[in-house]
Amino acid sequence: MTHRIRRTLGLLAAVAALSAAAAIAADLKSLVKDLHAVPSTTGNEEMLAAKVRASLPKGLTVEEDGLGTVAVRLAGAGGPTLVLTGLDGYGHLVSGIAPDGHLTVDRPVAPPHARFDAYLLGQPVVVSTARGPVPGVVAQPALHLLTQERRRLLVEGYSLENAFIDIGARSEREARAKGVELLDPVTTVALLTELAGEKWSGPSLGSKAVAAALADAVSAPHRAAAGVEVIVAWAAQTKFAARGRGARPPLGAARAQARWRPRRAVLVDVIAAGEGEDGPAVGRGPVLIPVGTPPLARALADLAAAEGLPLQPRTGPGSSLALPFSDPASEAVTLALPVRYLDTPSETISLRDLQALRDLLAAFLTKGEGR
Amino acid sequence: MIRRAKAVLFLLALTAAFAGGQSRAWDILREFVFVPGVSGHEGPAADFVQKRLPPGLKVERDALHNVWFTVGSGKPHLLFVAHTDELGWIVARITPEGRVRVKQGGGLLPQTIEARPVTVHTARGPVAGIVAPRPGYAERRTAGDPPDPPFTAESFDIDLGVASETEARALGVAEGDPVSPRRTITDLGPGLMATRAVDDRAGCAALLDAALRLKPGAVKGRTVTFAWDVQEEIGLIGASELAKTLRPDYVFAVDTFVSTDSPLESKRLAHLPIGNGAVVRAIDSSNVTPKAEIRKVLAIAKKRGIPIQVGSSRGGNDGSVFLAGGAVDIPLSWPGAFAHSLIEKIDRRDLEALTDLILAIVSDWE
Repeated sequence: MTHRIRRTLGLLAAVAALSAAAAIAADLKSLVKDLHAVPSTTGNEEMLAAKVRASLPKGLTVEEDGLGTVAVRLAGAGGPTLVLTGLDGYGHLVSGIAPDGHLTVDRPVAPPHARFDAYLLGQPVVVSTARGPVPGVVAQPALHLLTQERRRLLVEGYSLENAFIDIGARSEREARAKGVELLDPVTTVALLTELAGEKWSGPSLGSKAVAAALADAVSAPHRAAAGVEVIVAWAAQTKFAARGRGARPPLGAARAQARWRPRRAVLVDVIAAGEGEDGPAVGRGPVLIPVGTPPLARALADLAAAEGLPLQPRTGPGSSLALPFSDPASEAVTLALPVRYLDTPSETISLRDLQALRDLLAAFLTKGEGR
Repeated sequence: MIRRAKAVLFLLALTAAFAGGQSRAWDILREFVFVPGVSGHEGPAADFVQKRLPPGLKVERDALHNVWFTVGSGKPHLLFVAHTDELGWIVARITPEGRVRVKQGGGLLPQTIEARPVTVHTARGPVAGIVAPRPGYAERRTAGDPPDPPFTAESFDIDLGVASETEARALGVAEGDPVSPRRTITDLGPGLMATRAVDDRAGCAALLDAALRLKPGAVKGRTVTFAWDVQEEIGLIGASELAKTLRPDYVFAVDTFVSTDSPLESKRLAHLPIGNGAVVRAIDSSNVTPKAEIRKVLAIAKKRGIPIQVGSSRGGNDGSVFLAGGAVDIPLSWPGAFAHSLIEKIDRRDLEALTDLILAIVSDWE
């Protein structure tokens, strides 16, 4: 009888634990969807910053830096550890309004690869104006009228010179009446595709999912602070290279380093995933890449092992966010979500990887070396 | 005063008898563009049409999923035809890695589908996939590198999220399944939208709306057939099947007019502005409409106050297969920008003018 009660209680506990895990996963999924729906390009991170801020637990003091960076400080006795991710993704902006009402476009930062602009051809986009989103489509030539010569020019040789956004306006005045102004961000419609195997796909999904995982980890119940002070930051302008001599680290990361001078830094980012056995792959857990001295990486690997979380340890170049933290006196590590088709309109992630990333970050913030 | 009121009432009654109510074409179209119907797989699209036709009509449907009905009797016989099929691809094979490959063709610019979501329409329901970007898409290129190989439908490597052929088949995916781009509607303003498959779901919606507003009893001294045919995009196959049994005197193919009202097109031809009314296609790649018939259509439109434009463009139409049987082909359209794309653009006013024009021709054609 006692044995049966124990077994029943054990089963109930297991079901409760599973339900709790599922509930966390549902929260994370919901947060990813919320953040994914918000456009955020370099210099226009304010909407995503507001969403992140709104998702954080009440009672935390939010710090800002004037560019749109959001940060919270988790108390602790020792020197600071920084956990940093980016807020901005790649996109375009309105560079002009033609007399016939079409919009021309440019980029706020250099593209991630040569084909990036070509993904605009013939697609729906959103122009984020001060008065709200304005839907548009990027013109493409009608197939029936496309000669070989025009195909070479307008399709195979597609460039921003041929990118015209139709927002349904017939004049510059009509376009402005919709609220469109120069420099308004232009992004691909945030269409989320749910694939088999617990994979999701969408434009700029990788970085938004990482931002969500970090916000969700900060929201996890915290035990009594026992370790170091931790600053968790979502930085603006991480796709913009800081100017100056030598290497050009991302501006958002350089400012974070200068502001908080952390002894240790965990750079939470995305990493391109392939299909082969050698490189990072989707579905095998977050990727861990140490920068310089390894103790922090070892601590994170031990934590993942203790929590039963999958991890893909790698060597080599980590996130560009780590560039300002390469000083031998500091410890830094890249913790990255593997993303298939990175920097395309269909960035594909595994929800299991994302959950593992979130859980590892939560463990680090609550009971790991982070506290 | 009483005489004026009587006159107003008479006019209202006349309008109601002709129009049979408000146009629902726009709402029908917005619903219909989400119904799958890749050429050769038009069953759901044919169901959509058939279910919405008014009761009491003797509706026919053949094995290809052509759907049609005929009202009235005698000469002339007017046939209005729109095609239910849309552009898309067919699954050719599944790789050991669980990726889906498609047959060549499709009719859309493959570059616009690269790294974009698609839907595989399986016997067990829709399955989401992503057309993988071309290999090495993110690699740095230098001026000396050879040019990229062309990205075609045969380059498509559709990722379903699975890692093996067994897993892909467990989702229900099989050779022969149709594949279409995942679609959205972009509302560019009130009554102005861009979406996939406006070609020719707009024609179908106009015809369906006309059928709903038509008063069959009012069709006297002529025979009128409304048909929704299949496989237009792959060679006017459905229309050819219909031509074996239907012998119209006049055929009005209701399909897109490929307009150059967009910033990337030469305005040398086909420059009919969107929003300026329905279209009579004077010349396309399959037909030259006799000027006398164009004038008849214009006269009817003028009498009814229907905005109309005349233009020449490219592309074929279903009516052309009836030419050999003795029919006169008079294609009717709306001006459509970005034809054969994910963002085919249409104005509600043009669509409703087209519906009104169809009803006016049914009523007034001599």
